[in-house]
Amino acid sequence: MPTDLSQPLGKKYSLLRRRSLLMWSASILSVCFFLSNGDGTSAADRNDKPSAAELEFFEKEVRPLLAANCGECHGADEQWAGLRLDSRASLLGGGESGAAIVPGDPEKSLLIAAVRQTGDLQMPPDGKLDDKQIAALERWVAMGAPWPAGDGLAEDERAAAQRRHWAFQPITQPALPEVSDGGWCRTPVDRFIFAALDARGLKPSTPADRRTLVRRVSYDLTGLPPTPGEVEAFVQDEDPEAYAKLVERLLSSPHYGEHWARHWLDVARYSDTKGYVYAREERVFVHAAAYRDWVVRAFNEDLAYDRFLLLQIAADQAAPDDPASLAAMGFLTLGRHFLGVNVDIVDDRIDVVARGTLGLTVACARCHDHKYDPIPTADYYSLFGVFQNSAERLVPLPTPKLDDEMSVEYDKELQSRKTKLIEGMASAREDAAKRVRERLAEYLTAQLEIGKYPEEAFNQVYSKADMIPKFVHHWAAYLRRAGRANDPVFVPWSRFAALSAEEFAARTSQMASEIATAGDEVHPLVRAAFTEPPASMREVAERYAKLFLEIEQQWQELVKNAPADTKPERLPDPAAEALRQVLYAVGSPCVVPDEEIVSNEQFFDTDTINSIWKLQGDVERWLNESPDAATHTVALLDRATLNEPRILRRGNPAAKGDEVPRQFLKALSPAERQPFQQGSGRLELARAIIAPDNPLTARVWANRVWAYHFGAGLVKTPSDFGLRAEAPSHPELLDWLAQQLLTRGWSTKNLHREIVLSAAYQQASTAPAGDEVHAATAAAARLADPENRLLWRMNPRRLSFEEWRDTILSSSGELDLAIGGRAKELFPAHDKNVRRTLYGLVDRQFLNPAMRVFDFANPDLHIPQRSETTVSQQALFAMNHPFVAEQARALVTVVEAEAAGDPVKLAARLYRAAFQREPSESERQAAIDFLAATAADAPSGPPAETLAWSYGYGEVLAAEGRVTFEPLPHFSGAAWQGGAQWPDAALGWAQLTADGGHAGNDLQHAAVRRWRAPRGGQFRIKSTAQHEVAAGDGIRCWIVSSRQGVLQTQTLQEATMLLEVDSVALEAGDTIDFVVDFNADLNSDQYLWKATIEEIEAPANDATAGANASEVAAATWNSVRDFANKSPEYLDPWHQLAQVLLLSNELMFVD
Amino acid sequence: MPYDRRTFLQRSGMGLGALGLAGILGEAGLTPSAASAASFGSQPTRQHYAGKAKRVIHFFLNGGPSQVDTFDHKPMLAKYAGQPIPETLATERKTGAAFPSPFKFRPYGQSGIEVSDIFSRIGEHVDDIAVINSMFAHLPNHEPSLMLMNCGDSVQPRPSVGSWVLYGMGSENQNLPGFIALCPGGYPIKDAENWQAGFLPGAYQGTYVDTQFEEVERLIENIRSPHATTAMQRRQLDLLGQLNAEHRASRSDPRLDARIESFELAFRMQMAATDAFDLEREPQHIRAMYGEGVHARQTLIARRLLERGVRYVQLWHGASQPWDHHSALEGGHRDLARQIDQPVAALLTDLKQRGMFDDTLVIFGGEFGRTPTVELSADGNSLLGRDHNQYGFSVWLAGGGVRGGTVHGATDDFGFKAVDQPTSVHDLHATILHLLGFDHERLTYRYAGRDFRLTDVHGKAIGNILA
Repeated sequence: MPTDLSQPLGKKYSLLRRRSLLMWSASILSVCFFLSNGDGTSAADRNDKPSAAELEFFEKEVRPLLAANCGECHGADEQWAGLRLDSRASLLGGGESGAAIVPGDPEKSLLIAAVRQTGDLQMPPDGKLDDKQIAALERWVAMGAPWPAGDGLAEDERAAAQRRHWAFQPITQPALPEVSDGGWCRTPVDRFIFAALDARGLKPSTPADRRTLVRRVSYDLTGLPPTPGEVEAFVQDEDPEAYAKLVERLLSSPHYGEHWARHWLDVARYSDTKGYVYAREERVFVHAAAYRDWVVRAFNEDLAYDRFLLLQIAADQAAPDDPASLAAMGFLTLGRHFLGVNVDIVDDRIDVVARGTLGLTVACARCHDHKYDPIPTADYYSLFGVFQNSAERLVPLPTPKLDDEMSVEYDKELQSRKTKLIEGMASAREDAAKRVRERLAEYLTAQLEIGKYPEEAFNQVYSKADMIPKFVHHWAAYLRRAGRANDPVFVPWSRFAALSAEEFAARTSQMASEIATAGDEVHPLVRAAFTEPPASMREVAERYAKLFLEIEQQWQELVKNAPADTKPERLPDPAAEALRQVLYAVGSPCVVPDEEIVSNEQFFDTDTINSIWKLQGDVERWLNESPDAATHTVALLDRATLNEPRILRRGNPAAKGDEVPRQFLKALSPAERQPFQQGSGRLELARAIIAPDNPLTARVWANRVWAYHFGAGLVKTPSDFGLRAEAPSHPELLDWLAQQLLTRGWSTKNLHREIVLSAAYQQASTAPAGDEVHAATAAAARLADPENRLLWRMNPRRLSFEEWRDTILSSSGELDLAIGGRAKELFPAHDKNVRRTLYGLVDRQFLNPAMRVFDFANPDLHIPQRSETTVSQQALFAMNHPFVAEQARALVTVVEAEAAGDPVKLAARLYRAAFQREPSESERQAAIDFLAATAADAPSGPPAETLAWSYGYGEVLAAEGRVTFEPLPHFSGAAWQGGAQWPDAALGWAQLTADGGHAGNDLQHAAVRRWRAPRGGQFRIKSTAQHEVAAGDGIRCWIVSSRQGVLQTQTLQEATMLLEVDSVALEAGDTIDFVVDFNADLNSDQYLWKATIEEIEAPANDATAGANASEVAAATWNSVRDFANKSPEYLDPWHQLAQVLLLSNELMFVD
Repeated sequence: MPYDRRTFLQRSGMGLGALGLAGILGEAGLTPSAASAASFGSQPTRQHYAGKAKRVIHFFLNGGPSQVDTFDHKPMLAKYAGQPIPETLATERKTGAAFPSPFKFRPYGQSGIEVSDIFSRIGEHVDDIAVINSMFAHLPNHEPSLMLMNCGDSVQPRPSVGSWVLYGMGSENQNLPGFIALCPGGYPIKDAENWQAGFLPGAYQGTYVDTQFEEVERLIENIRSPHATTAMQRRQLDLLGQLNAEHRASRSDPRLDARIESFELAFRMQMAATDAFDLEREPQHIRAMYGEGVHARQTLIARRLLERGVRYVQLWHGASQPWDHHSALEGGHRDLARQIDQPVAALLTDLKQRGMFDDTLVIFGGEFGRTPTVELSADGNSLLGRDHNQYGFSVWLAGGGVRGGTVHGATDDFGFKAVDQPTSVHDLHATILHLLGFDHERLTYRYAGRDFRLTDVHGKAIGNILA
């Protein structure tokens, strides 16, 4: 809170009274602050040598009292009004209102005034201390507030610890440790690893065998398994450079970029959709694929990491000549939309940038200074100002122009939709501005009670007749800027506004005469308006409004009288024109900023917002339907009018605090920190992040790359390098790797080489079987370093979800290795997706359940490391999802040909495809035994229950008690119908699905679901039929038995009905038909009808015992469950074997 | 490096290799070995003291049920019928005069707590219920209020209450998901965000079940194989076990065992889930007690799930926001109440007769309440409905650790705003956690440099509704 001591109490207080409950304590303390003259430190500070008695008094009477009564709101966890009362330093330092105590002077101490509760000041808020307690505090302050030495230094110590913290020290140039390793070390990395092991008396493991190594490095660099051929070639390759050559091949593979892009997309909280949006908005991003593909390209081209970051944060300014690089800005614009709440969108951007690039949890400082790291709240709002002053803009990417007819048509439609949007927005802006100009008096007087107008207005529905809160705040910001700039138009406003209500009467004449004599400092027309002293601030507002209204009328007059083909540009009188500018210029407080609806919607009434979003949605939907992948991106551009950021106390947009400059973090800046100079400061922010002397950026990236290779970082928390993070396991190694980035052009590929060519990386993860010496060494190491922080072995790892799915597709030979393009549902119901998992749709609102259960990165959040859980839902997916079964089938199909009918060979081929190795003798035998056992009892074809049903069309011949039946010839994957097109030319609308169907076009084409009794007995029929729509005349439902005739018939329209038959006696082969025909009028005749048929008594067991026992047990048929499709349901024994291999741990884990 | 148990558990789910994994496995019950099974098994892992409740069932009346038409009787509204009330607070839309409840209230039970006729069967249980009449939320919109009620924050992605509880307590049945959200006919608004795991591992996310379906394969993802019989799968898993055992022999990695075990669990889960969702296995008189319709069915399913050790079940009224009666509230509220009054009352009876009432926490309420004033159309006419109201609303609790027959707090004379003992959603969450054995300030998870908790920096358990 600004501390203007010249202001008397009353005014300050009345302002404070308007503040929210949240700020109540701050207000009270502020009042007190003036009472006490604010001089918290001038009184004698006599804490040099508190006596033992004084300290005892403090410990017994004061410390417990402070802790019990004040600690909850002013302690380590919460600091209301920025105040802590748990150390002497913080009492002296005070909160937002200054010092809480003046040692030696209780009467001047805020704390004492607060607890006495004699004035407006009442602490603690929920009661009053008893007299004895108050007296104790008074006595303690009078003593000079003794506090044990050292205790009160916590703040300083913390600051010192922050300064000493390793991550903030410059990156060193560590010398390579001298080691006597018997030739183990291959690269500089190894020297560091070996030295640390050696210091603990540990030894590295044996080198991994070549088969393991090629599999490991292939997955690490490309996310794909090597082919069996590649494994063999590497195993056989005697060239000493074979491994280095393999690494080069993998690094130059286009699939390298795909795999490492996915790591970065976890950091960038990538999603193809916006998250929850109101129904008015298109929910799929137009530009996600463009960003994802840009990241893939950046890795493949080994784009320097500093440039990689620069473009993602500020491509608009760093590469103005390269529009393609704007795709990089998806990093900032692909976050959640947070229901349009701007402060949360900005927060998300701060978080992704700060944790993603710097490993700093800056977002912790949103509500209070960071509790551990040197990040004051002010720093958070400095960055807030950068993103607050940047707005989204939909921009086209350079894409190859195609001249074919389709593209031309597409472009034409796109242009037409864009034009509608532009025109819609232009007229909405014009209308909104017009309404504000018409109600200027109200918007100006609203400034006097601005607390009535919510900051983020999304919570209310506004009509055109309502005052729009955003404009009230827009005016406030404008007046604030004008005041600071001594804008001659608003000098009187600022001066009068500085007066409290009480002093207004006393000072207004003097003010008026000062204004009258101010000369050019005050705009002449405004000056003239204030020759008479106004009686209140309200009158000031009204005079301004009147003046502006006159100007507006002059202007309208001029426009009206202008010749038809000319548009006036200005008012003839320059003074009047200057005032008109306030109403009309870019940046005018009456004008909606020329931005997109995503950033300026709060300036509009609800109907307008919806209509513009619809136009925006029309454009976005068309872009999302384009035949090409993303052709547009959403960039951030600096705003036309910049607003200085203000601290939002406790993160509350309604509790605005001091202004802060847009600037970089204090902890990473030189002592003379300079505010950003250009626009929003985003480019300068990006440059500060990638500056070579920034101690964090290179370290953070080196550590991430290391972590993705080894399964754990040198720093275990890749996105938190703050004081609470564990120190690096190998600090010099981390610096050495960071130096590699700095001195080798920020090359990520180079970093990979340094890591994967090391002996440390090439170690075995497990002692070779039968090697007791190494097993003993490993056992010792496991005891000394169970977490393997020192890397005495390689960490084995589990495949990620993407790697596992890609591996299955790769084994079966189905994997489509095309690069880039639009995302597609991973497991489409009636289609196949065999692209890499990277290209599967990431829908943050409806994340594919398979992705969720397999620990895919939550796309709502920046994810530095994925969780790794093992839950049975993963196994259920593996066992039961059609995807795995289909791939098992495909795998068998591929190797079948090679095996030429030899089962031993076929089994071996399956092993080779899945594991890139031959099976052992016991594995071969297990496979053969499995096949033999399975073949013996494998049922062929669909289950018996399914076979009981058939699907056709026909006519109910009620009189004869029978139904004609012809099968429906075509199965679409979801429905039986007349042909591939529905309705069918011949058979019309007749259709049957799992749940129901559609009646045919006439009574001869009723939809007939037929059940045939497999054996005789008593059966019960339960069914629920539903017709949902009011239109038409409904449907007729029939249940007809071939033995007893019509059992049930009902007409159904917009209703649900139970159709049941308690008992019906049937012989084997009898049928029950569930028939629906149209009622007479072919209109809306679709329906739902689910039926179950239960056997009332199970048949005698002996008749059909034996091999078919399972069929006998099934006594219920369910029309939905049993709905058949054409595909043969069961995996054959070979398929089953192949599926087992795809489910195995050997496939899932990498040694 | 030695770790105490606490550190060990804190590391779970952090993706830090075997150590972290063991924690997760422990709580998910997928223990890598017999030894650790003994230490982690199904024991509650993070509770701070013995909680009276062991499981939770939460009826979520999404859309915003009206407090003044259900549990917060306000006779003053009748006096002011058709007239403006002294202070109308700003809500999402414009409202007009006082709108007395179209429903009758009468006292029930020993406690004499008044309940609206539309919940007369629940009213019969009022002596077992603690009604909080002084709830307040922050914003008059569904989306942020749903997030606040379910996840403790209006906007930021945060773990849901159920995820926190599962994280804190684990599940007692490894054959079923530990946190299940039942909602007939599709998602409520904000979709799966309502039961999100946020920054907790995905395993803690609620599993969504669309109870409009009856077939188990449409209720739980991948629960039935379309391409193998049980016998075939058994044989496959035997072979898989054999291959995995051979692979395991030369390696030391508990994750390998965990994954082996997960297939066996999945195999058993197929039967367990079928059993849990099959209401045909309930006797007729029980089914009759719950009544007809999808709500009776999902409530009975919920009871079967709780009985089988599922930790947290949330029952939603339906897709979108059914209780959102901006207009024609009388018919709307009456219809919806009729759908759940009998099943909820039946559940309370049923839990009691099974001895489960005392350790099951029942929660009943929506994301906010409704205005005591009538909503107006754009042209200023009465819509006979009520707008959203975040200033005051009612939620009730019953069962494990809750003192029945109590009313906590009050709204003003008109039922607009909580004035006596205003109770935040964080307070409610603190209370729920308390009943389950947690100090809400100490159930934390380290994410992005902070120890996050469900109640952020707020909340205080409501003392006087505790038994």
